[in-house]
Amino acid sequence: MGGCPDPYSRPEPLIFRTMSEPIYMDHSATTPVLPEVFEAMQPFFGPRFGNPSSMHRWGREARVALDEARERVARCLGARQDEVCFTSGGTEGDNLAVLGCWHAARTEGRMGLVTTPIEHKAVLAAVHHAAHEGADERILEVTPDGVVSHDSATKLIDDTVALVSVMWVNNEIGVIQPVPELARLAHEHGALFHTDAVQAFGKVDVDAASVPFDMLTISGHKIGAPKGIGAMFIRRGTPLEPLLHGGSQDRGRRPGTENVAFAVGLARAAELAVEHRVAEWTRLEALRDRLQGLILDRVPDAVVHGLGAPRAPHVLSLSVPGVESESLLMALDLAGVACSGGSACQSGSTLPSHVLVALGVRPDLTRGAVRMSLGALTTDECVDRVGEIFPRLVNRARGVAAA
Amino acid sequence: MLNTAVPSTPTHPPRSRERVLVAMSGGVDSSVAAALLVAQGYDVVGATMKLFCHDTDLPDRPCCSLDSVNDARRVCEQLGIPHYVLNMESAFSRDVVRNFAEEYARGRTPIPCVRCNTFTKFRDLVERADGIDARWVATGHYARVVNGELFRGSDPAKDQSYFLWGLPRSVLDRLLLPVGDGTKQQTRAAAHAVGLEVIAEKTESQDICFVPDGDHTRIIARELGADTPALARGPIVTLDGSVVGEHEGYARYTIGQRRGLPGGFSAPMFVVAIRPAERTVVVGPRDALLGRGLLAREVNWLVDPLPVGSHVQVRVRHRQEPVGAELIHSEGDEVELALQLPIPAITPGQSLVMYDGDRVLGGGLIERASGVRMALPLAVAS
Repeated sequence: MGGCPDPYSRPEPLIFRTMSEPIYMDHSATTPVLPEVFEAMQPFFGPRFGNPSSMHRWGREARVALDEARERVARCLGARQDEVCFTSGGTEGDNLAVLGCWHAARTEGRMGLVTTPIEHKAVLAAVHHAAHEGADERILEVTPDGVVSHDSATKLIDDTVALVSVMWVNNEIGVIQPVPELARLAHEHGALFHTDAVQAFGKVDVDAASVPFDMLTISGHKIGAPKGIGAMFIRRGTPLEPLLHGGSQDRGRRPGTENVAFAVGLARAAELAVEHRVAEWTRLEALRDRLQGLILDRVPDAVVHGLGAPRAPHVLSLSVPGVESESLLMALDLAGVACSGGSACQSGSTLPSHVLVALGVRPDLTRGAVRMSLGALTTDECVDRVGEIFPRLVNRARGVAAA
Repeated sequence: MLNTAVPSTPTHPPRSRERVLVAMSGGVDSSVAAALLVAQGYDVVGATMKLFCHDTDLPDRPCCSLDSVNDARRVCEQLGIPHYVLNMESAFSRDVVRNFAEEYARGRTPIPCVRCNTFTKFRDLVERADGIDARWVATGHYARVVNGELFRGSDPAKDQSYFLWGLPRSVLDRLLLPVGDGTKQQTRAAAHAVGLEVIAEKTESQDICFVPDGDHTRIIARELGADTPALARGPIVTLDGSVVGEHEGYARYTIGQRRGLPGGFSAPMFVVAIRPAERTVVVGPRDALLGRGLLAREVNWLVDPLPVGSHVQVRVRHRQEPVGAELIHSEGDEVELALQLPIPAITPGQSLVMYDGDRVLGGGLIERASGVRMALPLAVAS
């Protein structure tokens, strides 16, 4: 057998042995692949391995599966199948929307790119990059609850704007933006409108037929599909330069051999998300509200972010005065509760969450933010236990701090 | 004071399921420390302190880079224990890096590892341990804690007790140093034995972790500005005051240094003093370096403070053979010692550590040598 360690012989982490089932409260970071999704993908890791661009039977089979997947995702978005482009995920989708649109529009003389200070970094960094290339970056103001200010939008969106990009549901605080209204405002000035719907899809009603967004980004691994797959809605006629250059796959918008298995997985996950959307909203909202209530009962001075705004039901972001989130997250993890401070993408950073800073949250509270995000794995029992553990750890942390 | 009997190898009885927070650098010492604690039955939690961020990534660094975090995480996964990254950049920058630059500007030669131990590891890390109800904290230092007292590591070649004098005495009641009983070879062997092949043969970091290229003047320039007097041109003078050359910044010099000095003297010349007020580097012959006493401040006792008249052994630099000394003055956080043998190059900013045999009594920051042949001009300067 040699000296090569068997990766499966590792001891089960002690942490899992010493307590009852750990609780996953980080669905905004990622979600487990759903069994139905896993099952749908399996044939494509086996006999149905073909390249969809090949002319032979393997290729045809793959191509049909890919086209069907595209059609099914389109149906879930209220779109036509040619309006769906598969990507590697949210970051690629956001980059394609912002940079692809900017590169197409700059030749027309529209230099303005409008976004919010609470976007995912995939949008913010892409807009900054465009600004280096000469774009006129404009950042909308948000209210203390995290909603884009109407006044700011009417002021900054004018006839020189190429693109307005506003995320539908914020990944850190769950606040829902008035996307239909903002899309209409953009169109009044001849600008395109993109929304990052990575956290919105499966929660709010994402319907391209009734909401006039031009582009929309979704990500597979937030809805029970694997990491590494996502999709873009690109409304017919939207001028867009591709980010990648190569073959003619997906009409040249996204060259590269398509990830058929994951596309099929995304399609299945999207269908499940749409099918269960309303019921899941109701279920998660009840759980979230109960969790929030349990925590506020025992930690009355905890500050819930975005409380005064419409919120998606799966995110609870709160800060506890005098408690640093780094220590609290460690203590929570050791007690079997997995959640995050702000977004998972920012972990290890010293900087406070740019979202909370944009909301004008006090610096001591931005350092203490904890995000709990609910989803498929969240049950009543999870909420009961977190509702007990969280206040206990907070009170103990405060006891230590006061000692 | 007579040497107390050196205790036999301290064994910490396995405290079943008591939690210990281990500071893990991703290197072999702290990894084995964690592995030993797991074997002893503790509830071990690993943590890597993120202390600074290089502007550009330096791929070949053995310590403190992101690779180290990844190594520590892998080791913890293998040991089946949780691992966390603790972001301590701002506190480290304030308590250690800033002070490092300021000490050079004061004409002194700091040891940032001492301050890192005092503040970052044994104040801030202990605070994190409290946050997760950890009764113990542990590191991969080569030193020993027995009955609430600190001792030199068993391996004289690796002993790191010199760097640990500043830790709060109260921490000794909850500090575990699992590799301090053995040699480096034993530690590496233990790493292989428990299957930590990833890190078993990692090279040791010798430099200051945040000065990976060895050029400390870059840090000084960054912290204090490139135009700081510490990096500005100034005269090199002999003990009698005659100017014999020019230097490019007194912060480039330390007591006892030969490199970067003008030649042409009958005997080798050494830096014997740095006078920041005049940006002057003073040079002299070898015997001008010898000190027969020293004054230290910011003294921290790890035992009940000793009375004046006590006899101890002292080190004024890492790995120096301890020299007998008498405590001739002790007031507040200041001590003065008379040395039984002269020690060369007693350097302000370095650490004085007082021992009783292997037992660490305490230490402080060297303020100045006393009893030097050229004592008068030095005293005036400081």
